[in-house]
Amino acid sequence: MERLAVLVRWTWGISVAAQVVLFAVLLLRGNFRKIPVFTTYIALNICQAVFVYAVYYRMGLRTLNSVILTWSSQALVQILRAAATAELLRLILKSYRGIWGFGWRVLTGAFGLVLVVALIASGRNFPWAVVIADRGIHLAFGIAVVACLLLVHHYSIPIHPVYKALLGGFCFYSCTVVLVNTLAGVLFVHGNPNYQMIWQSATLISFVLVLFVWTVALRKPLVEPERVLQAGPQELETSYWEMSPQINERLRQLNDQLGRFWKPEVTRH
Amino acid sequence: MNLTLILLGALVAVLLLLLAWTLHSPKESDAKATFSQVLEGAGRAHVEFLPQIRQALAEEDDQFLSRAGANPLRRRLKKERRHVALSYLRALRQDFDGLLRMAKVIATLSPELGVGQELERLRLTVTFLWKYRMVQVALYAGYASLPGMAALSNSISGLGVRLEAAMKDMGERAALAAEMISPSDRSRIHFS
Repeated sequence: MERLAVLVRWTWGISVAAQVVLFAVLLLRGNFRKIPVFTTYIALNICQAVFVYAVYYRMGLRTLNSVILTWSSQALVQILRAAATAELLRLILKSYRGIWGFGWRVLTGAFGLVLVVALIASGRNFPWAVVIADRGIHLAFGIAVVACLLLVHHYSIPIHPVYKALLGGFCFYSCTVVLVNTLAGVLFVHGNPNYQMIWQSATLISFVLVLFVWTVALRKPLVEPERVLQAGPQELETSYWEMSPQINERLRQLNDQLGRFWKPEVTRH
Repeated sequence: MNLTLILLGALVAVLLLLLAWTLHSPKESDAKATFSQVLEGAGRAHVEFLPQIRQALAEEDDQFLSRAGANPLRRRLKKERRHVALSYLRALRQDFDGLLRMAKVIATLSPELGVGQELERLRLTVTFLWKYRMVQVALYAGYASLPGMAALSNSISGLGVRLEAAMKDMGERAALAAEMISPSDRSRIHFS
C-alpha cells in the first residue's frame, strides 16, 4: 500500500489524539450539554479519522473509491461544522432576538453567495474541482463568520472569551485551508513532488493548533452567555418600528444637509 | 494560479485582521453602557453652545476688520475661527455618534429587527462619515460656513430629543418588567 509521508502520519496521529482529549474535556466538564452540536462535530471528526484510515488501508491512497469515500465523509464534517458555528452564534445572541434574527440572515446570505461563486469557479477546473470546492466552502464559511462577528461588534454585544476562542478557531482554520489549498495547487502546477505532503501536513498542523486552543478554552465549565433584559418584547418591538424609520429619515436629512454644506441657500430645517 | 494565490492571500489576510479586530474588545465600555449613561450623554448636546458659535463665526466681524484695514488681526481671527469651526464639527460628530449609539441600543433590545432599516442606517452612516471628512478637509483648507453648520446642528439636536424620549420610555418599561421578575432571575440580569 502506498503510504502517507512520515510528517503527515505524525501530525495526523497528534490531531486524532488532540481530538480525543478535547472530546474527553467536553464530556468531563459537562460542556457537551451546553454545546451538543460542537461536541458531535468533534466526535464526528474522530469517527472520520478512523473511517479514512480504514479506507486508505483497504483501498489505497489514490484509488477512485477511496477519493470518493473520503471526500464524502468530509462533506458531512463540513455540514456539522457550519451547524456548530451556528450553535455558538445562537448562544451568544440568544438574549438579543432581533440581532440573532438579523445575524442568521447575514450568515446564510454571505455563506450562500460566496459558495455559489466558488462552486461555479470549481466547475471550470474539473481536475481540481473537489479541492477548489472545498476551498470555496472554507472561504464562504470564513467570510460568513467574520460578517456575523462584525455585526456583533457593531451592536457592541459582549462575547465571552471561550466563545471567542471557539469562533476564532473555526475562522482561523478555514482561512488556513483556503491558503494551503491554493498553495498546494501552485506547487502541483510547478511540478513539486512534495505538494501533497505540504498540503496535508500544513492543514493538519493548523487544525492541531486550533484543537489546542479549544481544549485550553474549554478546560473549565462553559459559562452561560450573559442575559439581557428583554422587557415587554411587544412594546420594545413597537418602539423599534416607530423609531427606526424616523432615525433613518433624520440621518438622511442630515446627510442632505452635509452634502449641501457649502450652499448657503439650503439652510432651512 | 499565482494571481489566485496573491488575491486569496490578501483576502485571507483581511479576514484574519477583521477577525482579530472583532474579537478584540475595544468597545468593552460601550457594551457596559447603561440606559442612564446613554441618556446622560444625549443630554449634553452641542446645541447649548450654538449661540457662542454663531457669534464666533459671524461674517460682520470679518467685514469690519477688512474695512478697518487691520489685516494681521483679520488673519488671526480667520485662523481662530477655523479652529473653532473644526472643534464644533468634531462636537457634531460626537453628537452624531451618541445618537447612533442610542439607535443601536433600541435595535439591540428589540426582539425583531428590520433588515432594510438596519442596512439603510449603515449606508447613511457611511455616507455621513464620508461627507463629514469632506467638510473637515474643506475647513482645513480655509473655508467656514455658519449656515451649513447651524443646519447640521439643528438636525442632530432634533433627532436627539426624539430619541431621548424613546429611550426614557423604554427604560421605564424595562424597569417595570424587572420588578415583575423573580429575585433569583433578577440577579442575573443587567442592562447592556
